[in-house]
Amino acid sequence: MSLYVHFPYCQSKCRYCDFNSYAWTGQNMEAYVDAVLQEARSVAKELLPQTVFIGGGTPSLLSPQLLDRLLRGLADISGFVHSSKETTLEANPESFSREKASLAKDLGITRISLGIQSLRQEVLQAYDRVHDPEQALKALDAAQEVGFAHCNADLIFAFPGQNPEHWWQDLHTVLASGIDHLSAYELSYEPGTALTRLNQAGRWPAENPDHCQALFEGTRQACHQAGFGGYEVSNFAKSGAACLHNLVYWRSHSYVGLGAGAHSWYQGNRVQNLPSPEDYLATIQNRGQAIQEKQRPSPGTLLFEILMMGLRLPHEGVNLDRAEKLTELDALEYFGDPLSSLLDRKWLCLETGSQKERYLRATETGFLLLDEILLQLLPDDSNSPARKAQ
Amino acid sequence: MSETFPRERIRNFSIIAHIDHGKSTLADRFLEITGAVDTRKRAEQMLDSMDLEKERGITIKAAAVALQAKIDGEDYLLNLIDTPGHVDFSYEVEKSLQACEGALLLIDAAQGIQAQTVANALLALEQEMTVIPVFNKIDLPHARPEEIAEELEHVLLLEKESALPCSAKTGKGVEELLREIVRQVPAPQGDPDKPLRALIFDAKYDEYRGVVVYLRIIDGVIRKGDSVHMLGTGRDYDVLELGKFTPKPKPFKSMGPGEAGYLISNIKRLGDVKVGDTITLTKGERAEPLQGYREPQAMVWCGIYPTNSGDFENLRSALETLKLNDSSILFEPESSDALGFGFRCGFLGLLHMEIVQERLERESDLDIVQTAPTVPYEVQFLEGESQVIHSPGELPDSNEYQEIREPVVTTSILVPDFGIGPVMKLCADRRGVFLRQDHLSPTRVMLVWDMPLAEIIFDFYDKLKSATRGYGTMNYDEPRFEASRLVKVRIMVSGVEADALSVICHTDSAQKRGRAILRKLQKEIPRHQFQVALQAAVGGKIIARENIRALSKNVTAKCYGGDITRKRKLLEKQKEGKKRMKSLGRVEVPQKAFLAVLSTDE
Ligand SMILES: Nc1nc2c(ncn2[C@@H]2O[C@H](COP(=O)(O)OP(=O)(O)OP(=O)(O)O)[C@@H](O)[C@H]2O)c(=O)[nH]1
Ligand code: SF4
Ligand SMILES: [Mg+2]
Repeated sequence: MSLYVHFPYCQSKCRYCDFNSYAWTGQNMEAYVDAVLQEARSVAKELLPQTVFIGGGTPSLLSPQLLDRLLRGLADISGFVHSSKETTLEANPESFSREKASLAKDLGITRISLGIQSLRQEVLQAYDRVHDPEQALKALDAAQEVGFAHCNADLIFAFPGQNPEHWWQDLHTVLASGIDHLSAYELSYEPGTALTRLNQAGRWPAENPDHCQALFEGTRQACHQAGFGGYEVSNFAKSGAACLHNLVYWRSHSYVGLGAGAHSWYQGNRVQNLPSPEDYLATIQNRGQAIQEKQRPSPGTLLFEILMMGLRLPHEGVNLDRAEKLTELDALEYFGDPLSSLLDRKWLCLETGSQKERYLRATETGFLLLDEILLQLLPDDSNSPARKAQ
Repeated sequence: MSETFPRERIRNFSIIAHIDHGKSTLADRFLEITGAVDTRKRAEQMLDSMDLEKERGITIKAAAVALQAKIDGEDYLLNLIDTPGHVDFSYEVEKSLQACEGALLLIDAAQGIQAQTVANALLALEQEMTVIPVFNKIDLPHARPEEIAEELEHVLLLEKESALPCSAKTGKGVEELLREIVRQVPAPQGDPDKPLRALIFDAKYDEYRGVVVYLRIIDGVIRKGDSVHMLGTGRDYDVLELGKFTPKPKPFKSMGPGEAGYLISNIKRLGDVKVGDTITLTKGERAEPLQGYREPQAMVWCGIYPTNSGDFENLRSALETLKLNDSSILFEPESSDALGFGFRCGFLGLLHMEIVQERLERESDLDIVQTAPTVPYEVQFLEGESQVIHSPGELPDSNEYQEIREPVVTTSILVPDFGIGPVMKLCADRRGVFLRQDHLSPTRVMLVWDMPLAEIIFDFYDKLKSATRGYGTMNYDEPRFEASRLVKVRIMVSGVEADALSVICHTDSAQKRGRAILRKLQKEIPRHQFQVALQAAVGGKIIARENIRALSKNVTAKCYGGDITRKRKLLEKQKEGKKRMKSLGRVEVPQKAFLAVLSTDE
């Protein structure tokens, strides 16, 4: 079991961001922290999570006092300090001082994930990020100096029209900054973001897809050369430094989420909390929980979701035997022809693990076309009950 | 009220103007000051009853209403018809004017005389009816009635002193207008003792009551219960209900000369009634038919296909339902390799087409694909007979015909002087032939060109607006067919001919058009797992080619965090979108691409 804690506020909202995050305009953070702790007492008591991730939003926005209150509270309730093998705190450069870093370390944080995104002023500005390149470099340094065992940096590529040299420079600087993990995302246009609206209004053209592909492949190569293995579509890590918490998602292991809009997956249920911090707060105060929706996916839907997440791991793939245990469906039978034709086309392949378990993996070609693969595997009408019987 | 209204105290008039000059708003004021609607229940453009009219703020169908007013102590019956201003619906104006003795020619006092002001004024003047010019919107700070008075005299040869100022918005001058209507518009002619003669000036379909016939009595008297005979269609009907729009329909027992209203008679289909027909009594002496109307011509055609091929019959019944309300829509079944079975539909113009499409989607909940609009062409075969075709697909091989003729319209374009240069160039570029130029005022000019209609429907209006900073307006007349050097540009997608994408255009612009279509397709068709070749050809000759490169990467960048359901739903949405695409061979083409033929840029 893993534990995720969501902190929904940011200093301001970035243009491309589709997370459940809100510009902070004076809301009571202390009340929020207390609500999370109250929720923890009702759903995460003595959870003893294997991994913990404090994400957002921008949890580094919390004052030292509130950070202290949150982490100590969580430790008391869930016992994570003893059980967790990896405890990550997300941070943004503008709110990650040396002092805060050091406090976080003392409170049991083992891994820092920094939202760097770019080291170019013009790019940061276009994204409406609040920090500048200098603050980004300082934050990277702070993480090193305080001595975190693990540190990740987030970067975004495919800024439209950018000179590729600028990207390669950013990438090399960050890879050489002492981090052991890198998330490099292609800029994407998610429904509902300011960026997507600009794009649709013709005021922000997307980068040409051929350029995107070149950047994507070049990035994988550069990371490889710097000793960062690509273990997921956008994630690279030095040996042994892959993010255990995120692997929980990709492997469809269970997790409990606390906070506004947080998601949980355990005992066959997908649970989502109320996304608005105000609603969340009010409901927690009344009832101790703030569930918006709780659903039990059908076996077919679940199997698809297991593939959707698992195929993102190019070396490992999806453990079909484990998937069968969870869903009582045999993937080869369930997906039938579409799957066999993907295997024939060598976009997917089957492998056998050391314990004779079967794995389904994307090939080199298929890996770049994962969405296409998923579209072909997606049952025509996913509301219909599992098609297993036929 | 059972008695007919005394003829001397009836006035029949239309309100005509350029689009948006305030006709419907003025009608609102008339309704209010005559007490037809309660001022507390006032709304805007009350006679625009269709949802689409309300949303778009334009009048599409003429609306008739009977008002009773006391003027200088006398009771008058005023039959008013509010007409549309847009060029596509000038047929509505024509119909309305024939039921009237007078017209209020509204002119926006800030904008001045515009293209449809001229066109509609000429329609009224040709009928030798009383035309009262009205300067509307005098409340606007930039109203310039003096200058416009000069234009009026110069362009329409109407005395500038005859114009009346008003503001339909504030109501200023509106009472005075009513008084002038009564003074200037002649009472209708007509003899109650003669055999019945009534003009059908409009008809509409009512879900519950069948066809509602709008009629104007010329001679004689019509009574509820009469058996009437329609001279044009030869059909007989019993008058079940007779009445006037006040603006709510209000039954009357009888109507006499000069009166206008409606008739209901269990008529099932709008097609059974001919607008312009003459109504007489079945028994007794037959009256002479009145001069009818010309049939409106469908000038723009496009293919309409159901996205889901199983919906063909649903589309047919949806079109039939629309036609009940709008007899100017034409449609005939056609099939396309790419799109399957659908209909070739004819419209009065581009706006009309857009409106029908919107109503189809809205009122029938059907997903449709529309192909790019085209004008009709006349093909002259070698053997001497000729045929009108409505789609590029129907054009025979070039060795089978002698010539193709295309519709050409005389187009009046009103522009501010700074727009003359760009507009002249635009018209010349679009194969226009310059006829003349008239100065309306020192700063405004009317340019008259003969233009191929195909060039006008091909984004001409947008270009005109941008060449004149939005000030240019235009109007065109009935088309005539003239021979021209036209060819069919065929489009091939991965070697498969896409009949629904082919266009007819002038030889000289074939290559440019072909290339523009391919570029547009290149943008609209998503990448496939293989390279897609696009070609344009005239006859057997390839005149342009482009490629869509193979898809080699399609993977969501960011997929972590616990919200798994949302990610799956995004994929499901994408899959839905794919299902709605049409396939040309192995290539999936989104619906938008079928309109690719429409734009010129890039
Ligand atoms: N300031 C001002 N605005 C007016 C006046 N009369 C009409 N308008 C505005 O002009 C716009 C168009 O008015 P309509 O009455 O819809 O014009 P119309 O001539 O019926 O338009 P179509 O039916 O589309 O040809 C609306 O926004 C009215 O509010 C007026 O006297 N003064
Ligand atoms: S800081 Fe992160 S979570 Fe906050 S708005 Fe920006 S991208 Fe979104
Ligand atoms: Mg109107």
